[in-house]
Amino acid sequence: MRSLPVKATDVIKTGMAKNNSSSAATILEIQRLSTEDGPGIRTTIFFKGCPLRCTWCQNPESISIRPQLQWTETACIGCGTCIDVCPENALTSGAEGITIDRHLCTSCEMCSRECPSAAMKMLGRAWNLEELIAEAIKDRVYFEKSGGGITLSGGDPAMQANFAALLLKSLKEEGIHTALDTSGQCAQDVLGALLPHVDMVLYDIKEIDPDRHREFTGVSNEKILDNLVYLCRYMETHETPADLWIRTPVIPGATAYEENIRGIGRFIASRLGNSVSRWELCSFNNLCSSKYERLDMDWPFKDRPLMSRECMENFAGCARGSGVDPDIVHWSGPTKMEVGNK
Amino acid sequence: MDTSAAWKAQYPIKEPGNLSPRIEWLRNYYFRGLERPWNNEFTSWGTGEPWDVQYDETTFYIVPETYAFFSTLRASFIQAAQPVELHEDFWSWSLPERKAWFIKEVMVNHLPQEILPGDLIAGARFNIQASKCWTREETAQRDKLMYGRKGARSKLKWFYNRGYGNAGATSGHIIPGYEKALRIGWKGIHANLQAAFDALTQKEQKTRKGAQIRAMMTAATMPRELAAKYASLCRDMAEKEDNPERKTELYNIAGNLDRVPWEPATTFWEAVQALWLTHMLVMSDENYPGPGVSFGRMDQYLLPYWEHSLSSGMDRESGKEILKCFWVHANYAYDALIRMGDNQGITAGYGQLINISGMGKDGRDMTNDLTYAILEVIDEMSPILEPKPNVRLHRGSPDQLLDRVVDMISTSQGSPFLLNFDERSMAGMMREAKRAGCENLINKDNVHDYASVGCLENTMVGNDRSGTVDNNLNLLKAVELTLTGGKDLIPAVDPITGKQEKIGQDGPATGDPATFKSWGEFWEAYSRQTAYIISKCVDLYEATESVRARYCPTPYLSCLVKGCAENGLDVTQGGAELNFTTLEGVTFATTVDSLLAIKYLVFDKKECSMEELVRALRDNWTGHEVLQAKAKNRAPKYGRDDDAADDMGMKAMDLWTDEAWKHKTLSTNRQFRPGMLSWNYWIGSGYIMAASADGRPKGQFLSNAICPSNGTDTNGPTANINSVGKVLGGKAGKGNGDWGEYLNSLPNGSSHTITLNPSLLRDPEHREKFKAFLRGYTENGGTSLQINILDAGMLKDAQSHPEDYRTLLVRITGYNAYFTTIGRELQDEIIARESHGCY
Repeated sequence: MRSLPVKATDVIKTGMAKNNSSSAATILEIQRLSTEDGPGIRTTIFFKGCPLRCTWCQNPESISIRPQLQWTETACIGCGTCIDVCPENALTSGAEGITIDRHLCTSCEMCSRECPSAAMKMLGRAWNLEELIAEAIKDRVYFEKSGGGITLSGGDPAMQANFAALLLKSLKEEGIHTALDTSGQCAQDVLGALLPHVDMVLYDIKEIDPDRHREFTGVSNEKILDNLVYLCRYMETHETPADLWIRTPVIPGATAYEENIRGIGRFIASRLGNSVSRWELCSFNNLCSSKYERLDMDWPFKDRPLMSRECMENFAGCARGSGVDPDIVHWSGPTKMEVGNK
Repeated sequence: MDTSAAWKAQYPIKEPGNLSPRIEWLRNYYFRGLERPWNNEFTSWGTGEPWDVQYDETTFYIVPETYAFFSTLRASFIQAAQPVELHEDFWSWSLPERKAWFIKEVMVNHLPQEILPGDLIAGARFNIQASKCWTREETAQRDKLMYGRKGARSKLKWFYNRGYGNAGATSGHIIPGYEKALRIGWKGIHANLQAAFDALTQKEQKTRKGAQIRAMMTAATMPRELAAKYASLCRDMAEKEDNPERKTELYNIAGNLDRVPWEPATTFWEAVQALWLTHMLVMSDENYPGPGVSFGRMDQYLLPYWEHSLSSGMDRESGKEILKCFWVHANYAYDALIRMGDNQGITAGYGQLINISGMGKDGRDMTNDLTYAILEVIDEMSPILEPKPNVRLHRGSPDQLLDRVVDMISTSQGSPFLLNFDERSMAGMMREAKRAGCENLINKDNVHDYASVGCLENTMVGNDRSGTVDNNLNLLKAVELTLTGGKDLIPAVDPITGKQEKIGQDGPATGDPATFKSWGEFWEAYSRQTAYIISKCVDLYEATESVRARYCPTPYLSCLVKGCAENGLDVTQGGAELNFTTLEGVTFATTVDSLLAIKYLVFDKKECSMEELVRALRDNWTGHEVLQAKAKNRAPKYGRDDDAADDMGMKAMDLWTDEAWKHKTLSTNRQFRPGMLSWNYWIGSGYIMAASADGRPKGQFLSNAICPSNGTDTNGPTANINSVGKVLGGKAGKGNGDWGEYLNSLPNGSSHTITLNPSLLRDPEHREKFKAFLRGYTENGGTSLQINILDAGMLKDAQSHPEDYRTLLVRITGYNAYFTTIGRELQDEIIARESHGCY
């Protein structure tokens, strides 16, 4: 199979393409009954397009801002319709099933429209504001009962900031609690335009060392940290956002070392004042490796084992000892299974 | 690592806990099953006449698994019957009087009385098959109605073999007036019967009415005489007992039995003793162990006794100990056919249901200390099947109750109880009152007194027989008949002979659907076929109902159902104040999805012609895989919170429920009412019914009750719930609903099961979210919910049958993936993780 390995160093000729439209956005997925993206029961809207190229990315299908074609073997009935209808002859059938020649494919969507079994599928599609709001607020009653709401995530909603701002504003007008999950890699005024309509922010600090940050994500963390400080100043002078959760992916061979965790902690303690109400360490997860396969992407982490529980406890200990209020430190995510030691 | 071995060794099965040595022994003894020297299997009792019969197959017409055994069971119970010496006037009495006398004679003077070691409640054996007490003529007449060429049995087989479903007048499935029996005692019930009899004119006393009340008076003395037998047994045992504590207990049990159930109960122990004896004799009277004979709101009517005894010094744990003995007793229902099947008679839950918590007058919450004590008993005894608990929730349910409920769900393999939702349920009961014109009996001042029968079937209490499992109709059959203009799509096959039957014009000739120009025409034809299948079901039911009304009185049960004494009619003759029979719509989602697929494929997108579709279904989709895939994956589906699709669901719901309300039984004047419970029919009928337009081949399961079809709820549990609420009617503006703003077209209620990932319950933060999820269900969902927790067993099944689990989402601490799309190794790891609670 043809593969397009993701290298952080090829930054980011295509990825920086933003969508400035305020009338439509490319949305990957709307996930209901989300319980991990902020308080209460939430509906999470995953925007496509991300300015970073984290080598460990858990959602590779959200990196590109464009819809992407995916073939799922277990759904395919082998009828060959897709091959017949492809005007670019980009699809072939072989022992491993359907192969997509991604250089020939123009994402014309002929195959995904005709596929009877939805095995050939475009990931992401354009949504206009009205239909997206109508879909996203269907769980309003669960938001109300749980203190939940709607989270804009991705990718990074800031890549489609005009639309995101309008969406957030409309949701606020509907009386819905809004959360923004952003990488922070954007111009300050872009972030500034979103914040008036946001009740809480979920923000990643992945790596405190700027060079290592560049090595693993394609960009330095300078702008991200500056924007974070700006965000906290903003919070001090405005009623909303009222909450800020920091998340740190703990990735073996990348971010998972004590000095990084301590460094992030020192940054939080010294630069962010009292704005941070939760700092969550998220352990490395390998569940996404099959997604890379379906997108014909190589993933350097595919054979990485999970972290051990002790290891995560240890990092959480580091975090608590780093100068932050220890009560804000949490960790989550899967760890290596230890039988009989729940 | 060999994950499967670890799975077996490590899978955390819920264990009972906090059991005293007494209860532990009683519980373990029960689970020894056939190894027990004592059991409660059916004993058979006869008149000794050559025409005598015990077994009544009509009550099992709704259990297709038993059809093949009807004749064998009838013959074996006849053969096994022990003769009872009859009263010299026996054959001069009316049938109900013979029946009342016979049952009482068997229970008091023939069936042995025993007390198990340590037991605090008397009343052990109750499973009997008793003579129907028919004369030779009655037997012959009844058998003709049953087995004649146009008899009930041949109607049933016709109906079942063609995939319509099943129907039959079934025993149980009622909440007797236990509260009143405890309050006034059987003495009070007997006195009321005497008064009703005395109020009759002398002429009336000689009619069937007089005979019925006399029979009920005989039955009303049965609990007193049986209690006396047990009391004397206890005293005999006490005299021989060396352990002084046990000796005292036995004397105390005897003392209880001296009073109850004849006198009103005073203490908690007496109340539970009276309740058990009164209840178990219903099962004896009907010769029907357990199914659906339900207790109602036990934490409400036992509360005065509970509080009284606590304030007079009963220790709370001792009160629970009494309840735990009661719990063990209820499970002995399963002994009836303990030698049959491979699980010692224990199949699914029989459903001697209890309701706890719930709403009272003016929206008040009725949760009390006994509610929590009962929850503790359930938790400490579980896993155990009976009595089946159903917790009633509503907007005003306290957080403390929800905490307890969520806690119990998270530590069990799936919920150890069903949840019932008051607002939606009460809306259904109010709709029933309006449609049936019985607002004097069900209204805003008493509708909160409703309770559930069997699993989740809502009825009123003590005056209501609603035949909640009696009619089970595959709604999908009407779609099939529309596609063929009223003929079976494939020939019916007799399962015993294997012979194919001829296809005839059974339904109305609605025309060749290939000539239909619009969806509207198709819908019109579908409406006529729906009316037809419902009338066919009503006809089959009538055949069984009229026979039961004439030949199978249950005078003891009739004593506990308000209206029977007043009307001088047995409960089997429509004596209850509230007389319904429930038409349970089966295969709802398959039906709606099939309608959606036909509209989408043939009329909207013109993916195929009607001829092609019908041919594909005749061919069971073989050779039409592309069309099948489109039906499955492209056509809209119910259960995704897609308003257009759910609107089709609502139209289909309105259509069939309106049809149901048009019918009453002729013989007993019982009004049909709609409900959605599918028991296991959605599995069995899947092998009988032809392929359906939603893409399902013959042989694959149909949809269950009101649940979306397996694997179609791609937008997750909240979308699934919203769809369910919508097809029931959703909500109207404030005050414009059936109850509050709630609408509900299914008074019986609707069975809804969802499977959740255990990671949703993994810590206190998530358990709070889960509580909110249940409060959301109260607003948007249906009447009843069974929560299953995704477990390793289901994941393993998904590995072997990925096609059935395409939308199975696994969540590992918030990370979601479709299970069947990830590699085998990761799948194995996830299975191992679920097995060890590492999510």
